[in-house]
Amino acid sequence: MADSKRPALELRGITKKFGSVVANDRVDFDVYPGEVHALLGENGAGKSTLVSVLYGLYTPTEGEIVVDGRPVTIDSPATAIGLGIGMVHQHFMLVPVMTVAENIVLGQEPSRGGGVIDMRAARARVRELSERYGLAVDPDATIEDVTVGAQQRVEILRALYRGARILVLDEPTAVLTAQEVQELIEVLHRLKRDGTGIVFISHKLGEVLQVADRITVLRHGRKIDTVPRQGATEQSLARLVVGRDVLLSVEKGPPHAAEPMLVVDDLHVRDDRDLEAVRGASLSVRGGEIVAIAGVDGNGQQELVEAITGLRAPTAGRVLVDGRDITGRGVRAATEAGVAHIAEDRHRRGLVLAFTLAENLALREYRRPEFSRGGWLRIGHMRSRAKRLLREYDVRGGGADAYAASLSGGNQQKVAIAREIASDPKLLVAHQPTRGLDVGAIEFVHRRLIEERDRGRAVLLVSLEYEEVRSLADRILVIYEGRIVGEFAPDASEEELGIAMTGAGAGARS
Amino acid sequence: MNTVEDGTQGDVLAGEEVAHGATPSTHARLTAYVRRGGVIVPILTAIIAFVVGGLVVLVTGHNPFSTYRAIFNGTGLNWLFPWVGGAARKTAAFDLQQTLIATTPLILVGLAVAFAFRAGLFNIGGQGQYTVGGIVAVWIGSSFAGMPAVPHIALAVVGAGAAGAAWAGIAGALKATVGANEVISTIMLNWIAIWGGVYLFGLGGPLQDPHQPSVPVSSTVKASAKLPVFWGNAQLQGLHIGLFIALAGVVLFWILLNRTRLGYEVRAVGLNPDAASYAGISPARNYFRVMAICGMFAGVAAAMDILGWKFNLFTNDIQASQVGFLGIAVALLGRNTAVGTIAAALLFGALQTGTSDRFLDPSVFDPNLASNLTLMIQGLIVLLVSTDVIALRVLRSGRGVAVALGRRGKRQEPRA
Amino acid sequence: MSVGTLTATPSRLAAPRQLGIAGLVLAIVAWVITLPPALVRSPAPSIVVAVVAIAAGSAALAGRQRRLGYGAIALALLAVAGAVADTRAGVGHLKVVFTWSVLVAAMLRYATPLLFAALGGIISERSGVINIGLEGMMLIGAFFGIWGADVLHSWVLGCLVAIASGGLLALVHAIFSIHLRADQVVSGTAVNFLALGITGYFFIAHYGPNGTPSRVSQVPNVKLPLIQHVGFFGGAIGNTNLLTWIALLLVPGLSLFLFRTRWGLRLRAVGEKPRAADTVGLPVLRTRYVAVVASGMLAALGGAYLSVAFVGSFNQDMTEGRGFIALAAVIFGKWRPAGALAATLLFGFSSALADRLPTFSQTAATLFQALPYLLTLIAVAGIIGRSRAPASVGIPYVKE
Repeated sequence: MADSKRPALELRGITKKFGSVVANDRVDFDVYPGEVHALLGENGAGKSTLVSVLYGLYTPTEGEIVVDGRPVTIDSPATAIGLGIGMVHQHFMLVPVMTVAENIVLGQEPSRGGGVIDMRAARARVRELSERYGLAVDPDATIEDVTVGAQQRVEILRALYRGARILVLDEPTAVLTAQEVQELIEVLHRLKRDGTGIVFISHKLGEVLQVADRITVLRHGRKIDTVPRQGATEQSLARLVVGRDVLLSVEKGPPHAAEPMLVVDDLHVRDDRDLEAVRGASLSVRGGEIVAIAGVDGNGQQELVEAITGLRAPTAGRVLVDGRDITGRGVRAATEAGVAHIAEDRHRRGLVLAFTLAENLALREYRRPEFSRGGWLRIGHMRSRAKRLLREYDVRGGGADAYAASLSGGNQQKVAIAREIASDPKLLVAHQPTRGLDVGAIEFVHRRLIEERDRGRAVLLVSLEYEEVRSLADRILVIYEGRIVGEFAPDASEEELGIAMTGAGAGARS
Repeated sequence: MNTVEDGTQGDVLAGEEVAHGATPSTHARLTAYVRRGGVIVPILTAIIAFVVGGLVVLVTGHNPFSTYRAIFNGTGLNWLFPWVGGAARKTAAFDLQQTLIATTPLILVGLAVAFAFRAGLFNIGGQGQYTVGGIVAVWIGSSFAGMPAVPHIALAVVGAGAAGAAWAGIAGALKATVGANEVISTIMLNWIAIWGGVYLFGLGGPLQDPHQPSVPVSSTVKASAKLPVFWGNAQLQGLHIGLFIALAGVVLFWILLNRTRLGYEVRAVGLNPDAASYAGISPARNYFRVMAICGMFAGVAAAMDILGWKFNLFTNDIQASQVGFLGIAVALLGRNTAVGTIAAALLFGALQTGTSDRFLDPSVFDPNLASNLTLMIQGLIVLLVSTDVIALRVLRSGRGVAVALGRRGKRQEPRA
Repeated sequence: MSVGTLTATPSRLAAPRQLGIAGLVLAIVAWVITLPPALVRSPAPSIVVAVVAIAAGSAALAGRQRRLGYGAIALALLAVAGAVADTRAGVGHLKVVFTWSVLVAAMLRYATPLLFAALGGIISERSGVINIGLEGMMLIGAFFGIWGADVLHSWVLGCLVAIASGGLLALVHAIFSIHLRADQVVSGTAVNFLALGITGYFFIAHYGPNGTPSRVSQVPNVKLPLIQHVGFFGGAIGNTNLLTWIALLLVPGLSLFLFRTRWGLRLRAVGEKPRAADTVGLPVLRTRYVAVVASGMLAALGGAYLSVAFVGSFNQDMTEGRGFIALAAVIFGKWRPAGALAATLLFGFSSALADRLPTFSQTAATLFQALPYLLTLIAVAGIIGRSRAPASVGIPYVKE
């Protein structure tokens, strides 16, 4: 278990400010060799900032870092690596076109002279590490051809190759299947036995309880408490994380389901790399119900949503909205058929930050006669409608002529949602609608979606957040490798869903 | 609570698209700087460029002040000072006419580049579009003898605009269909246009003036196609009405961008192509339309020059002309806006006149040197405009910009 | 991340890719047989070969090899046109124009400056920085090369001065693009203006109306002792400039550097995914600075070749867009030195041909001048249109 001698790493009183914003406020944190210390907290609690400080990406405003008993200054990743700190990032830091071996040795390439890389030695070392810790990889495979789970193994190997004695894992399970999560836990056990100290960052309470020896909770940049795993429960942790008793579900009545508004029939869609991402998905959503699509990221959700909303043409199959076939006919056809789309990333797809709110609110409907006639814009109309919508959705931060960029994240999402719902759609597609939002904004979005459902709209929710899916959906569809592999009621257990998400019992559980 | 993200929002400059991994387009960035620094910034940028130019002049042993004064005297801008009178006023008037003659095409090629920037494209092809427009303008202008003036001029202008639009449209279509980078394709089209022109009007070329078989020049524009002069003496090349056509172009530019559906789509694509396609606006189709409109502006610019004062086209002219490239400096200095384009075009028009060998006193400064000096200043302006950081720092609003620049590109949700 | 597998289209004959390449080769053959030394005087054989080429191209199309397929078909059609033109032209004319050894020598001469600049462009783009300013860097090297050779009485020093000037200009581009995070295309364009202005200004200020003096020290040719007198090879490569040899040797050298050494790996990582490179401790910004300055130096050396080795003097805007052709060669060659070599040789060949055509037809010669640009346009649009640039090229890197 934990080596009770000196901690391998200590962060003492770390404070990090960005201007007037305090991201970390006098945080203490330490890791002993051979233990897993979890760092838990909501989005925005300060977890990523803390480890960025540790990895040399930020310099702390105050506080000190002590490694093996000696105070150190970490001013760059290179320094951190030199001190034996390795990091496995949430968004992988691998070069897609290079091979596994090349990525692992990058920066410390073995060479027999003249700078020419000795690839044989590199491969051998990779294999050696791979066997030792149970991290199966093919050294000559290109990163972009390899699964997400394998990519993570490469990230870990990269840190180990550089002699990491302290390994930081930032939300490692966000993109893994249930089986891959178990494999990762195995790897962590082996690393622990070897004396490596592990920092495990997560916001998933269940996993943290499975993996950690100690758990530190951050909230609003401050350390709330450090507790041992013994005696901790999901409820006790949740209370620490949020600061109040958390309602794990939203109040909602039963659905009044009507006619099918959306019918997707044997849909095949190819992704940007011309690989089949959706391979024969079929589903239907009735008016007055919320259907959620759950699954591990990368199983075709994105392409499915794009096909339904008209952003991407399927290669086969049909998409029918209220009986109208809009397959492959583009966004305009979908909009005219009554499809509204709350996009995955409001800055990329939802809003034009340099447009005014009035212009943004007209973004999907500017072609309608109310807003433009014969090629000319009717600006007065746009503005008056905008004023009405901003009032109705209680958007703070600016009026119809304010620039979208000057609003906060939550208010921007309100604008995006206002726009979509105001077009009186038959089908509302919400793709990760609460990503990056604070708790208050999330509550607003959830309430609104249920309101729209109660008004008789069909709602298709695509989300990676298990809790969101559970609390909002009337039916849960699981997508795996481009197919709908199971339908569940909202009270299905995480285990049932998890099994479906990995391909209907394909993975063996211990 | 996303403390860091919320903290960022207030400092993000309006117009900076802080999208995941995407950098703001040139225009988005310029918009941001405009909101921060107003009109002072471009003025400051120009001043800095002139100062550096002055240093170069100093290094080669000339007096920068007298050099700049000599250049200024040639521009005719001193006509605007009411205390200048008598003979000096008459010279200034003439000089000013020449300046405005030079400004006219610059306004239009400036629009040709600015419109593209607004759509997120870089139109380096102004020179080629100008050349092609000029070829058509001179061909129509020198044909159709006996046509009355108004239709003849109109035909030539429309033809030139159409030719420029078609030429630019090639690049636009390539970008729309196969995603070919418009920078490379327009650069190539520039050279193809130039060599095409040399071929057409060269010795033995199909459009060479049959009355001057030993001179590589086009036929001369007929009197009916010449633009009427409204200020100054037509015989001495006074100011022609092309200026009004250019100003009309500016109005058209503004209306297109701000009051039409097309303009809305163009601006959306230019500021956030992902949001635009999400709304059903096809960036590809817009690229084609935008390039065509830009080409039209450039082609009309050439018509102004041909029908206004050149009246024919030498192959030398075709190869030596830099108008299209000046358009880039004009657009950038003018921040891709309507009013800015006019002001910037006036500056460069004045520089061009002031440094030409007709107006610059060679004893003070060699005109050949001066035209190269202009090129350097032009380069400096484009360079400085590309960041505007220096000018803004001088203004000491740099702090806000520095913060925003430091935030830009950061992972959008710092999962703290 | 792979959710699906690439659905393979079964092909009944040979692999479609091979067929496409075969189509291209056959199309070239169709044209070449009407030229000396084969000098087939009837277009019929060419047409037959071209038809086979088209068939091969169509087969490639069916196998989803769109670019190769269309390329082969287009080339075959052009080849037929060329063959018909050749069979209509006089044998004497053909022999004069297509004296292969002279053509090859000229091809090398035209290709050399392009090759230097293209290799520089590859280094810069591989590190993630677009360098539109290659043209300006070439020009500044051309001027300062000959100025240095004149003032310091040595071509070696002249070349060194050129390299230094190119490096300095590139440093300006680097500072604005990397440090101040300007739009790289705008910054590159500005550099071109600056170079035009600076070289013109100092040229006139220093040399006045007379231009550069004659008999400035020039880079010598390398006379290969034995080969020099042997027929084709003697004419082609027996008397080639030293800088040309250096450029040719740089090709395998740069290839080795990029794909086999540590620094090459790191450079490529910085250009593909700078954040990944940063997290393993590589100095992203410094790497890019070095790459851009190196590209400026190489481009300047290419420019110096023009003035110090080839022409022996300088005139304003001497480079006439060669820097842009070099950029096209980078893209043509898919950011690989060997590819750039092939592209520059092709462009050099077309320029060499354009040179010899005035004996045939003056106006055709003028049109031929436009050929490299046209070829590039077609390349950017068609065959090579979708090749993959280094993933982060053009995107400024922001350290957190």
